[in-house]
Amino acid sequence: MAVLKTENIVRHFGGLAALNRVSVEFRENEILGIIGPNGAGKTTFINVIAGIYLPTEGKIFFEGQDISALPAHQRCRMGIGRTFQLVRPLPGLSLVENVMVGSLFGKGLGQREARKKAEEWCEFLALSDCNRDITRMTALEVKKMEIAHALATQPKLLFLDEVMAGLNGDETMEMIDLVRKIHRRGITIGIVEHVMRVIRELTDRCVVLDWGEVIAEGPYEMVSSDPKVVTAYLGEEA
Amino acid sequence: MRNSRTLLYILILAVLFTLPFYTGVYLLNVMDIILIYMALALSWDMLLRSGQISFGMAGLFGVGGYAAVLLHLNAGLNPLVSIVLGSLIAGALAWLIGVAVLQLRGMYFAIVTLALAEIFRVIVRNLPDLTGGPEGTVLPSAIFSGNSTKTYWLTLSVAVVSIIASEIFRRTRIHFALTSIRNDEIVAKSSGIDVFKYLVFIFMVTSAIQGLTGGAYAHIYGFVSPEGSFSVDFTLLPIAMALLGGMHSTWGPVVGAVLLGVVSEFLKLQIPYGHLLVYGLIIVITILFFPQGIVGTLGQRFRKYGSR
Amino acid sequence: MSLVSKLKQRNYQIAVIIAVLAVILAFWKPHVLVEGLQRACLYAVIALPMALILGIVGIINLAHGEYMMLGGYFAYCLNVYVGMDPLVAIVPALIAFFLIGMASYRAIIKYVLGAPELNQLLLTFGLAMVLEQMANLIWTSRPIKLPLKYVSASATIGSFTFGTYEFIYVGAAMIVLVGLQLFLKRTSMGQAALAVGQNPRGAKLVGIHVDRTYLLIFSLSIALVGAFGAIFMTRHSIFPLVGAPFTMKSFCLIAMAGIGNLMGVLWCSLILGLAENFVLSFRGYAGWADILFFALIVGVIIVRSRQRQVK
Repeated sequence: MAVLKTENIVRHFGGLAALNRVSVEFRENEILGIIGPNGAGKTTFINVIAGIYLPTEGKIFFEGQDISALPAHQRCRMGIGRTFQLVRPLPGLSLVENVMVGSLFGKGLGQREARKKAEEWCEFLALSDCNRDITRMTALEVKKMEIAHALATQPKLLFLDEVMAGLNGDETMEMIDLVRKIHRRGITIGIVEHVMRVIRELTDRCVVLDWGEVIAEGPYEMVSSDPKVVTAYLGEEA
Repeated sequence: MRNSRTLLYILILAVLFTLPFYTGVYLLNVMDIILIYMALALSWDMLLRSGQISFGMAGLFGVGGYAAVLLHLNAGLNPLVSIVLGSLIAGALAWLIGVAVLQLRGMYFAIVTLALAEIFRVIVRNLPDLTGGPEGTVLPSAIFSGNSTKTYWLTLSVAVVSIIASEIFRRTRIHFALTSIRNDEIVAKSSGIDVFKYLVFIFMVTSAIQGLTGGAYAHIYGFVSPEGSFSVDFTLLPIAMALLGGMHSTWGPVVGAVLLGVVSEFLKLQIPYGHLLVYGLIIVITILFFPQGIVGTLGQRFRKYGSR
Repeated sequence: MSLVSKLKQRNYQIAVIIAVLAVILAFWKPHVLVEGLQRACLYAVIALPMALILGIVGIINLAHGEYMMLGGYFAYCLNVYVGMDPLVAIVPALIAFFLIGMASYRAIIKYVLGAPELNQLLLTFGLAMVLEQMANLIWTSRPIKLPLKYVSASATIGSFTFGTYEFIYVGAAMIVLVGLQLFLKRTSMGQAALAVGQNPRGAKLVGIHVDRTYLLIFSLSIALVGAFGAIFMTRHSIFPLVGAPFTMKSFCLIAMAGIGNLMGVLWCSLILGLAENFVLSFRGYAGWADILFFALIVGVIIVRSRQRQVK
């Protein structure tokens, strides 16, 4: 059963087609990798699914329902969560309060419950001392907070947009474990990454985007040896 | 800790409430002005917390004033009732405008609000049968027959209402929504916040407060006029007060209103023409050098000392 | 369809609408046509410098109208103390306000260029208030008008008499529009400015001095609007608050035309000018003319937000 299905998504910006007939299925409780060279349209794809952009053409189905015209906040409440590459924590709020925004509005809980849930998610991701100020956090903690915030909206489908960027070897290992932990909760995950090791370890399948089109689909081993994919990343042989 | 704070608030409120019993009429009248501007400054700050600026306070203030006066004169309603209704009318107008205009934010919204005072002024001038035209309308008697104690209690109530509203905006989920929207609308949307609805709601509530304040002012001074009720004073001073005291807080506008209110009384006597210059300067200087305002900057200093 | 051709198409659409309206009016209410044209150009001359700043420097200057007001007082002072005719005062005004623009930019505007729009709005609002109140302090709020004979020049065609002096606005609008277009497209400085307007970082990489460009454009804009104040005060009385409505109407025109569309500002001015005069021609409803710009800008916003594809 597909949690989310996109049908021939086309998205124009001015004269440029950032996405061209992208049809992808997210199967229940899988971890789907979304990879491709820079500018391929990976984040745009997430933005279209999350409702930040409307597709120029094409449809999006979430659990069988056509959500193509729904506004972003409603899609969040239905269960589509996502993280952002550039995280700007809310000033004046503590760590847990930043996460609380997700449980308050994405899940619609009352303040006390929302805080409890937020604290639980912080613990789940091994974020210590969640009542502290947001001004002194390591890069890893910022990413964890961002993921906690998305988890607090109680998503059925979660998009992780380059969460491994800028992490060292140990931190990447920890993050991989956390993603597995999230996955064990029954959440379907779409993960955009440049770090191939992560894709290889975590994903069941991959989708490769290049110039806004899907050029390959399948398990990592198959996709990584596909000549089209190699060309896309490395360029043509002269 | 919380209990001693509540006790402090009750004490302050008691002192303020009983002020008429041990001070003279002049001080009460000065307090009236301070409290009116305080309410306006708070309402402006509340919208500011969402990241939007309204320059339309004078407009909604005047609408509330005219509505309150006209309802009282033409429909024979009790002055207090007409003040409340005036507030609701201002809120309803704000809802209409907000729904139309808040899809585009930032400078588009700000400039539309800037035009509001002018627009309402033109409308009022062009319906002379209803509004008394360019000369305005005078009430046969001011509210409470000009009793300064009751008048003071009225303005105190209006200010307390705005303080309560401001605190509600700070302690409930509205605070989280506002902070998130202000920080980044796209992230806010992705957290499940219906940004448009929140903005319209906040604009409506803050405009209702401005209408309430305008209604009270109109009944206290006993008249409304196109020039007086929509005067740019009612936009300029509250902004200067909120900026000076410190944005995004309840106590910032309160402190700013008290400080500048007192200064204003002084200045009006010394410099009859152009004393508003000070407020413009305050805005310019605060934006350039003290984005946190007085309360904010002091708050930061205290926090630094506290962490040592 | 690329952005440029969309803009050109919109210009042509508006031009056609106006042409049709003009023909209708010429026969029905010639006053409206002539005076509407004059008023339109009045708005255009004031709006074009604001469009320049908004398009290239990217900053909204809420004190725009106040510089015009100061220009008016500047010409007034020159007239009273040196006996200079305001139209002659245009030259010193251009120089003086160029310098004033430079000073404003260096002292104040520069600091909010990178800041959020909020700060720009508040700062320029405060600046507008300061300028208004300074004028209030120095000259009080009493309206001032110079008794100049030549402003009442008029001509008669058949049974229809109209003022001819006001065509100076048309002339000014043409000069400013054509001058700006030439400057932006034909001179290297202007082309640099266009580049900066489109992509400041890219322009910097190519070696264009961004800050100096901003300074130049800002000062040029203030010079133009200040000098126009001299022309304005020959025909209208001036008082400290005289500039504020023009700031709002200018913004309305720019919003209608789209940021960066100088030609469009002229067309939209024609729409506004003709519409206002049209309303003015109906005796009982004359007072409502001043609301038109508000209806227009709200309408533009509603239409724009429907068109947006990004949520």
